[in-house]
Amino acid sequence: MQAINKWGKSFGIYLLLVILFPFIMPDEYYRSVGIIIGLHAVVSIGLCLVMGLAGQISLGQAAFWGIGAYTSAVLTTKYGLSPLIGLIASGLLPGLFAFILGRAIAGLQGYYLAMATLAFGYIVQIGINEWEPVTGGASGMISIPPIPFFGESELSMYYLIWGVVTCVLLFSLNLLHSRVGRAFRAIHKGEIAATSMGIDVRKFKLNAFVISGMFAGISGGLYAHYMGILDPQPFGLHDSIKFLTMVVIGGMTSIWGALAGTVLINSISEGLVMLSEVIPGLQGDFDTIVFGAILMLIIMFMPEGIVPCIRAAYEKAAAKRAKAKQVQKQSEQVVERKAAT
Amino acid sequence: MTELLQYVANGLVSGGIYAIVAVGFITIYSVSKVINLAQGEFLMLGGMMTVALIGMNIPYGEAALLAIAAVTLIGVLMQKYVIAYVKNSNPISLIILTIGISTLIRGIASTAWGKDAFALAPITSNEPISFAGVNIAQQSVWILLSVLIILFLLWFLMEKTILGKKINACSINPMAARLMGISPAKMSMLAFAISGATGAIAGIVIAPLNVTSYDVGVLLGIKGFSAAILGGLGNPLGATAAAFLLGIVESLGAGYVSSGMKDAFAFLVLIGVLLIKPSGIFGERSVGKGGL
Repeated sequence: MQAINKWGKSFGIYLLLVILFPFIMPDEYYRSVGIIIGLHAVVSIGLCLVMGLAGQISLGQAAFWGIGAYTSAVLTTKYGLSPLIGLIASGLLPGLFAFILGRAIAGLQGYYLAMATLAFGYIVQIGINEWEPVTGGASGMISIPPIPFFGESELSMYYLIWGVVTCVLLFSLNLLHSRVGRAFRAIHKGEIAATSMGIDVRKFKLNAFVISGMFAGISGGLYAHYMGILDPQPFGLHDSIKFLTMVVIGGMTSIWGALAGTVLINSISEGLVMLSEVIPGLQGDFDTIVFGAILMLIIMFMPEGIVPCIRAAYEKAAAKRAKAKQVQKQSEQVVERKAAT
Repeated sequence: MTELLQYVANGLVSGGIYAIVAVGFITIYSVSKVINLAQGEFLMLGGMMTVALIGMNIPYGEAALLAIAAVTLIGVLMQKYVIAYVKNSNPISLIILTIGISTLIRGIASTAWGKDAFALAPITSNEPISFAGVNIAQQSVWILLSVLIILFLLWFLMEKTILGKKINACSINPMAARLMGISPAKMSMLAFAISGATGAIAGIVIAPLNVTSYDVGVLLGIKGFSAAILGGLGNPLGATAAAFLLGIVESLGAGYVSSGMKDAFAFLVLIGVLLIKPSGIFGERSVGKGGL
């Protein structure tokens, strides 16, 4: 539990906020927003492992999300399996897809991976639309059973999902501070140097990609059971870009950043929805303008992202304070010594 | 047989468009080592702006010219104020940056013009031309003609003029080019201008054949990039050949397998090529694997 020790204070604050949120905002609507944020957080933490640690990029994360959602939905509605089995399958199948896709492209870099994952996202969305006998095509699926083993109310679903988020968070933070995490950071800094230190770059990148796919899949499965209905619309480029924005704004190299980014982007989305009720001119995908602008401006002016920037500022301030204290102490000592003489 | 010829003819037309996108990617990449993921949006802007300008009672020809000029300007501004600003960052930042720009452009387009699809009138009449049982829309002839003219002009520019030699010099060694009095920044801007202009023209000529809407750019962009990789990044002739090949494969797939899966074929080809031969079937020129 290295992560808890290292991040003791921030982890405590995180737990407190998560547990108290449904009581601070006792409205059903905000609880459902909280659930969606939790589901997105699982995906964006996975994406953060791919981007921040392995230095790769995935523009098809929503596709893994969708595969997970449809896997669980199809298994439970068409074959009558229990949602638990559906959820396990919804973690494994996207992992398998990620493995095959990653095997093909993990040796490649940057633009190739970006385009290949973008194309993969399109193929999956087309596939869901076209494979009508199984997925219901564009009209989607209905009456997906809810998860029974934790109660069915909004509140119990909220705690179930944030429990999953906490597990994913701890897993990722631990990963970050283990040998694997150090290897990832070495890859991020320089692949050739990492290779020459005996790190199997290809394998590590592939692992990160598979893990991110599985996270997205599990989140998708939970999403399907929570919503009860599915259609192919939320599993396309728009949401992949949304996930990307969450990771970029929070800070690519920071797991906490991904979490903060998820909360921030979802709050912005909610704010835009409220705003569009007041201003009727905001038709179309107004949120894509905001996401695009955020991506562009963050890379231009704050490439590390918000959380690492705040942390750096905080540490700088702390160092300054410590120094000031030291100076004060020294001067006090001098005064004392003078007084003694 | 007639059916097959019909599919090949259709494939050649869409292949021509992919060729323009692919060459646009390569033009920018060779000079500034940036893959401009907003390339597809240039096409979308070309088509949509023309539609919008015609809606403002501006004659067809002038509307098209204005749209081309505007998109060229957008390309130049994008290079000058955004890309140049983060020139020396790592590839992943540049990917996010260009994805951000393309998302921004798409968002603005959908807010300004809505999410509906628009039709643009063909340049000449709607009457198709019959040739050995194969029906070709007159617009298709215009598309192929403009594609060939653009590709020829680009080839002429790059191979036969002093300006082309300057651009080539910058792509081979920017430092040496600077010592020879060539400004890599200016050449980079020129590359964005060329890509913007050719992209806009492609977007305008293809708009009457399919409908145009705010999101046509993404697909065209990915397909053009597929062609660019297939032909080998940095190899315009290879990319052109690959683009026509891709168009034909896609059209045959749509005809013989499933029209709904039409777009998936191009991407399957892309992922297949990345699996088997990531340097492209015609080989890369001056680009190493992992050099991106």
